[in-house]
Amino acid sequence: MAKKLANHFRLGIFVLAGLFFLVLLLYMIGKNENIFGSTFVLKARFENINGLMPGNNVRFAGINTGTVKDIAVLNDSTIEVTMLIKEKMKPFIKKNAIATIGSDGLMGNKLVNLTASKISAEEVNENDILLSGKAVDTDELIKVMGGATDDLALIVTGLKTTINKINNSAAFWDVMNDASLPVNLRSSLMNVKQSTAGMNNMVNDLQAMVRHVQSGKGSIGSLLVDTTFAHNLNEAVERVKRAGNMADSISIQVTTLVRNIDRNLNHGEGIATALLRDTAIVHRMENSLQNIQKGTEAFHQNMEALKTNFLFRGYFRRQDQQKKKQAPED
Amino acid sequence: MVLIAKTLLQNWKIFFIEAGALSEFTGRFFTQGFRPRYEFREFVKQCFLIGYQSLALIALTAFIMGLVLTMQLRPSLVAYGVESQLPAMVGIAIVREIGPVLTALIFAGKIGSSIGAELGSMKVTEQIDAMEVSGTNPFKYLVVTRVFAATLMMPILVMLSICISLFGSYLGVNIRGVTSFHLFWTQIFDFLKFSDIIPAFIKSFFFGFAVGIIGCYKGYYSSKGTEGVGRSANSAVVVASVVVFIIDLIAVQITDVLGLN
Repeated sequence: MAKKLANHFRLGIFVLAGLFFLVLLLYMIGKNENIFGSTFVLKARFENINGLMPGNNVRFAGINTGTVKDIAVLNDSTIEVTMLIKEKMKPFIKKNAIATIGSDGLMGNKLVNLTASKISAEEVNENDILLSGKAVDTDELIKVMGGATDDLALIVTGLKTTINKINNSAAFWDVMNDASLPVNLRSSLMNVKQSTAGMNNMVNDLQAMVRHVQSGKGSIGSLLVDTTFAHNLNEAVERVKRAGNMADSISIQVTTLVRNIDRNLNHGEGIATALLRDTAIVHRMENSLQNIQKGTEAFHQNMEALKTNFLFRGYFRRQDQQKKKQAPED
Repeated sequence: MVLIAKTLLQNWKIFFIEAGALSEFTGRFFTQGFRPRYEFREFVKQCFLIGYQSLALIALTAFIMGLVLTMQLRPSLVAYGVESQLPAMVGIAIVREIGPVLTALIFAGKIGSSIGAELGSMKVTEQIDAMEVSGTNPFKYLVVTRVFAATLMMPILVMLSICISLFGSYLGVNIRGVTSFHLFWTQIFDFLKFSDIIPAFIKSFFFGFAVGIIGCYKGYYSSKGTEGVGRSANSAVVVASVVVFIIDLIAVQITDVLGLN
């Protein structure tokens, strides 16, 4: 009897364990398909759903938030997808969220991606129809990838040619095999480093200079910043301008004067014209000047004679003595 | 040539006779199985013998199968760069096919042969005739209880076998990689659908029924002494195994037609 009870006990555990796992399995699948727990319905309309099926996941910001409940064809270009979304996600999904058809990985199941818009909006309500985006077309993607592959093939071919050229280039390998190259390179890099440091210093100096100028110090600073200086400069420029104008006016007057003189000289009368044009007067003037010179020489002889005369000798001596006294004082 | 043709004809004739007799036997089960008097105690006893005592063998094979399947699938998935999908793929394979069919085959080997041998030996030692004489309905007592027990225990064994097999798979996943227990089960349940588990669960009833009814039929109509007992046991296993595959084929066609694949 005891053995029979023990067998019944074992059988009971066995059966319950099997049923428990069955229920667990059904519950977990049901939970994933949003059968248990509160949900609400959202809709989106697409031109092409790319093989989406009822039961496929709906993701909001990458989180599984629901499943596709139903797919209905409204007309030849509109397909309505009804989605069951977990109630707890309702506050986060806004009316301006965009629904697109995507896939779980490159070869995975199709799914609906809900993307939040950056513009704030009210939260969704039951049976709201969301905006839909264009689904990623795998065929189009493959076509683009095919184009990219062709480009890649061209690049690889070019690369191959380049590598062949490099491999066959004696000059390149000479350079590569040159043992002194790393040393020179290192040295060059050191020089570059030093130059860079020098340039940094220069840039720093330049910055300091610019700051100096900006603060209005120095001639350039004054020139750029000092308003008084600028005013004076403007005034000076104005004066120069006025002087220029006056010079123009003087130049005109001089020109006029010269023209008058020229006209008088060529056509007029008077001493100057006579001096320039009448040769007889010129001869007479030369004779007169020669006579004056002779007179002056005779006068000079007379004066020398006077110095030796006893009547005027005392006077000239006193003159000499006064000159001698004044010379040491100077 | 004529001899071969005659043998083939004879075999086909035997096949149809067997099919007819099995159908008649099944019909008798349905006519008598749901009518009182019910042999409940014998049914519970058979549940224990058929269900509970098969668990160890089925659990061991299921665990090994889950582990091996995972390790065999891994290189192919790695080659395609979808190693992360390993739990999901193994989960679906185990739930949809490996679990029910493997359990049914082990069940046919163990229970089909056991029932065939037990009823066969009772038949050849005239115990079944003695039961009839003593006023007990041997069909109800021996056949109905065993067939019901096999039919009801099979789905439970399948569920436990799936569970244990998935544990084996978890070990297989972690031999070459690292996947947390939580992630493993999340991935499996994420991919499983009702259309995976319900057909598997329903067809396991048919597997159990087929193994039970064929084992009972082979044993109940056993003849030719102890030699016939061995033949009945062997025949029960072979026929039950083939019928399991045929049921599986029909089941997959039905699920396909219903759009559950």
